[in-house]
Amino acid sequence: MTTTTQTRNSGGELQRVLNVTRLHLTNKFPIMVLPLLILGFIFLVNLMIWWLVFSAVGPADTADASQGMQFSGASTFIFVYMLVVAVQAVNLTFPFALGYSVTRRDFYLGTSVTFVLLSIYYAAVMTIMASIERATDGWGFGGGMFDVIYFRTENMLLQFVLFLLVFLFFFFVGAATSSVYVRWRANGMYVFFASLTVIVVGLAALATATESWGPVGEWFVTNGAIGVALWSLVLTALAAVTGFVLLRKATPKN
Amino acid sequence: MTAVVEVDGLTKTFGTLNAVDNVSFTVEENKIYGLLGRNGAGKTTLMQLLTGQDFATRGGIKVFGETPVENAKVLQNVCFIKESQKYPDDFKVKHVLTSAPWFFRNWDREYADRLVDDFRLPTNRRIKKLSRGQLSAVGVIVGLASRAPLTFFDEPYLGLDAVARQIFYDRLLEDYAEHPRTVILSTHLIDEVSNLLEHVLVIDEGRIIIDDDAEDLRGSATTVVGTRGAVDAFVERREVLHREGIGGLASVTIGALSGAERQHASDAGLELSPVSLQQLIVRKTNTSSTEFEQSA
Repeated sequence: MTTTTQTRNSGGELQRVLNVTRLHLTNKFPIMVLPLLILGFIFLVNLMIWWLVFSAVGPADTADASQGMQFSGASTFIFVYMLVVAVQAVNLTFPFALGYSVTRRDFYLGTSVTFVLLSIYYAAVMTIMASIERATDGWGFGGGMFDVIYFRTENMLLQFVLFLLVFLFFFFVGAATSSVYVRWRANGMYVFFASLTVIVVGLAALATATESWGPVGEWFVTNGAIGVALWSLVLTALAAVTGFVLLRKATPKN
Repeated sequence: MTAVVEVDGLTKTFGTLNAVDNVSFTVEENKIYGLLGRNGAGKTTLMQLLTGQDFATRGGIKVFGETPVENAKVLQNVCFIKESQKYPDDFKVKHVLTSAPWFFRNWDREYADRLVDDFRLPTNRRIKKLSRGQLSAVGVIVGLASRAPLTFFDEPYLGLDAVARQIFYDRLLEDYAEHPRTVILSTHLIDEVSNLLEHVLVIDEGRIIIDDDAEDLRGSATTVVGTRGAVDAFVERREVLHREGIGGLASVTIGALSGAERQHASDAGLELSPVSLQQLIVRKTNTSSTEFEQSA
């Protein structure tokens, strides 16, 4: 039997892009299950601490105690984890996908679809947890882990959008940073972080010199969490475009 | 014969180094090519250029008649197995086998499973826990089971033991016979693959110094052994590729000989022996570069 392997022009563009998305989601455990397990563990630890605090302070001071438990930063981990997921997606899955003869363009589009899907998934988880937290008055202790001060909006749909925007921000910033590394390796990282430091310190100096820390704080208060999150879209979009431009000329190196 | 790859005046420069230096050649459909050369000769760079993973500084590359760079139409028919391939963190062997068919339309799942058994690969093990040889086996399996019309193997068997290497050669030949395709294999183990190859490209310091049919190449050199005087007399006015001697004996490698010349040599009491592909390439890549250019 002899069948010549014909060159094939198979699969439309959309299919090619979605195949990259499937590739990212091939191994679901580390990106869809493990973060939830860690989050669950942190939640349990928080519950125990709240219970300990409540048992210690007595009924008279409960209001005061729950005041102090409105923000612990416990859920920040999930956002940082997603940043790392994005870094790995570009640093490791990019050279892997190119080995599978994927174009850089298809890779980036498929990766972006993955980020959007994961953002929706985790925003949904966070919104559900925040709703329960709100409905049970902080799991009965007045504690706050998902429904935290400042990031709280009245409308649950808005709460979902808020989480979604924050996740997208972390994904695309992670991907853009990783693109700098994939494109220029260590040297790119030195220049990138040096520039970032200069910009951040420069802006802080500018705010101090012009005595505008007041207005800066005011801006955050007036815009509210959702306003700030919407503004973050500008940075997210900028990071997304930067990542694309950098990867288009990147070469998988050893 | 249809040309699958056409390279014209291709140059890739890293800083001041010409990793690939003004290279031109064509690769014909459904043949097995050997891309041979020393470490750092430019083999991997050349393959990265042909698969659109790297960008040419100058010159033209056509794969299936078009540029491979960011060209999904071309790349869908290409499989590039790299010795240093990276895998996503926490990927297991089974994840590679699950995802590969989405990218290689000719993927044969049953064949891949058979190869997994042949190489005794633990599919539930993480890629980063695999031994060097097992890691190479993953690449070999993807390269074979993908049945891409143009398949590149870059040092595919680093760390593979002799048995596994033989399995690779056997499976490659069997599958190639049933599903003809173009294979470009880069390797150090020239003698081991020499029977597999139909065409040989030798690259040295970024330049193609041999681009020849493997059969012609094998007959293109002869070693003449005998007493120093007789050998010297015989090889006079011939291009000498290599010379070594002990005491009054000499062994000299020269180009191809005609039947009459062979007769003449044997009458002079000289012994003639064929030169293996590996020896030939070692001889050719050891001489000074000016001699290469004359002989290439």
